[in-house]
Amino acid sequence: MTSFLESSRTLFRSTPLRLALALVVLFAFVSLLSLGASYLVIRDSFNKSMEADLRQELAGFQAAASSSAVARLIAAEAAVTDPERRILSYVTADGKFSGNVRVSRSNEGFRLLSLPDEHELSEGPYLALTSNLYGGQLTVANSRSQIEDLGELFLNILFLSVLPTTVIALTAGLLISRRSGRRIDAIGEALKQLTAGDLSARVRTMVGREDDLSSIAGLVDSMAAAQQSSVNALRQVSADIAHDLKTPIQRVAVLLNKAREMPDLPEKLEPILNDAGQETASIVATFQSLLQISQIEGGSPKSRFQPVDLGVLAATFVEVYEPAAEETSHRIEAVLPNGGTAMISGEKGLLGQVLANLIENALRHTPAGASIKVAVRTQADKVCLEVSDTGPGVPANERQNVLRRLYRLETSRTTPGNGLGLSLVAAIVDMHDGEIELSDNKPGLRVAMTFEKDSSDG
Amino acid sequence: MMKILVVEDDKMTGNYVAEGLREEGHTVDLMTDGKDALLQASTTSYDILIVDRMLPGLDGVSVVKTMRGTKNQTPVLFLTSLGGVDDRIEGLNAGGDDYLVKPFAFGELSARVAALARRPRGTQDEIVLRAGDLEMDLVRRKVTRAGQPIDLLPREFALLEHLLRRKGRVQTRTMLLEAVWDISFDPQTNVVETHISRLRAKVDKPYEVELIKTVRGAGYRIEE
Repeated sequence: MTSFLESSRTLFRSTPLRLALALVVLFAFVSLLSLGASYLVIRDSFNKSMEADLRQELAGFQAAASSSAVARLIAAEAAVTDPERRILSYVTADGKFSGNVRVSRSNEGFRLLSLPDEHELSEGPYLALTSNLYGGQLTVANSRSQIEDLGELFLNILFLSVLPTTVIALTAGLLISRRSGRRIDAIGEALKQLTAGDLSARVRTMVGREDDLSSIAGLVDSMAAAQQSSVNALRQVSADIAHDLKTPIQRVAVLLNKAREMPDLPEKLEPILNDAGQETASIVATFQSLLQISQIEGGSPKSRFQPVDLGVLAATFVEVYEPAAEETSHRIEAVLPNGGTAMISGEKGLLGQVLANLIENALRHTPAGASIKVAVRTQADKVCLEVSDTGPGVPANERQNVLRRLYRLETSRTTPGNGLGLSLVAAIVDMHDGEIELSDNKPGLRVAMTFEKDSSDG
Repeated sequence: MMKILVVEDDKMTGNYVAEGLREEGHTVDLMTDGKDALLQASTTSYDILIVDRMLPGLDGVSVVKTMRGTKNQTPVLFLTSLGGVDDRIEGLNAGGDDYLVKPFAFGELSARVAALARRPRGTQDEIVLRAGDLEMDLVRRKVTRAGQPIDLLPREFALLEHLLRRKGRVQTRTMLLEAVWDISFDPQTNVVETHISRLRAKVDKPYEVELIKTVRGAGYRIEE
């Protein structure tokens, strides 16, 4: 019910539907106005001609020579006149009546005449003209049924033409606006995905005739394609650069090794060569991460995914980092689910990289004495992996930024690292269709990742 | 000792590898082109091939795939400047036996070549592993030295077992990480050193003869 309300609300917010509705309302209004105006004009001219008729008839009777002559004329005329159509009434000064319906006395001139209810004749009003003649009172009245019929006629026109036209126009407008709405939705959906970073999103071809919307869709698609290819080119270039630079780095490593193996190496030179070797290793690590991120974002095949137990993996990595944590006076512990497995479908090496990067980050950016917790929890169809620390944390407004490539917090400029750890983590989680969320551990940073539970083996 | 073919297009790296291996007493042929290497490998019998992933002519993975297609089972060590998990898996799927990411220290290469040359065959059936007066009973999961029982944690047991099975051969820390912890990348921690020193405290310290030796710049080894 709410979703229906919601969908009709969005439907009514759509521009095409509003335009269609406005047009229909305008059309109905103008039709009613012109119909009403014609009705009034026609009724008026009917009234006028009726009045003229009545005057003429009355004049005919007035031409009679005496009261009795009038009575005779009336009686003769009334005998052949249907009172439904015309009423003739002449009441002489002494109260003698001739005619088809007796009309009680009244003032001279035009008036509307209704017959009393008990009268079996048409109750419809008549237009009556009364005139005093030879002391008596002569009334000629013509049925207004023609004018009443006119109203009915116009109502019929209203029902038979304006209403169906309105309904048809409304339905057509609704259908057209729904089609436009669908097209606009498709464009909106594609733009939303593009904004969210899925550069492969497209509006695709639209069913039906081409219109301005489908040409906009075409433009959106070609814009997205251009963006995607330039981003791909950029990725390729950075991957190529990283790759090409690894050969000279390898040579530097070779040269450093050769120097270190010199038999007459001065003792002072050894620590310098070792430092140079370590610097080379960290350059390699940076390129390695860059290459890996671009490889993963470039769409690594998921066909190599296998069931991986996150609980076992978390325990292994906590164990691997325990000695390093001890050295820097950090506490590290694993909180694993009691019984049951935390299986997800994934690439074990990459998921291990996620754990390694997060634990390394925590060790690097928290002061001595801080604790690090690696927790794995299972829910109905999800597995949640959480790495939290009690360090300084990341300010709320920076939490999205730290997932970006090469981004580093101002406060951690001086600590070692290349700003790629978390973006690699984000890329790997994304590749596994997982969600990653950074939040406040009060105090500290909590990185929570949620994955679909692997269903392949129950 | 062994006949090794090195296929590497970067001359400096190729020469460094070839020279190092020759110094260890191996016979080394050095080639720079993939197609030439494939022809060479199919006409000459080698003990080990060391193949770079990126080669002019024919890339390393294709060379090894084609070679494996002709039932040539010579062990292959891939060298690569790529290093994503995918590259590693792709290399191993193509028929490579091991994988080394550039830049590498020669000690690492040497240890891996030695491991490839004598992959443990048949040793899987052994029930008791021995080194000097150290005994490891794989069935009862018991370790004794000079008749005295030694209590080991599961990871320490696995580490000692791995070293004992490869007696006399150097195992580098990345090889141990792979074998004992099942981690295929280097997490830059001293976990191997820590476990080795814990293991030494239990296995070596109370005794006169040191069994677990450190090989400088390479790794660890249990003497034969």
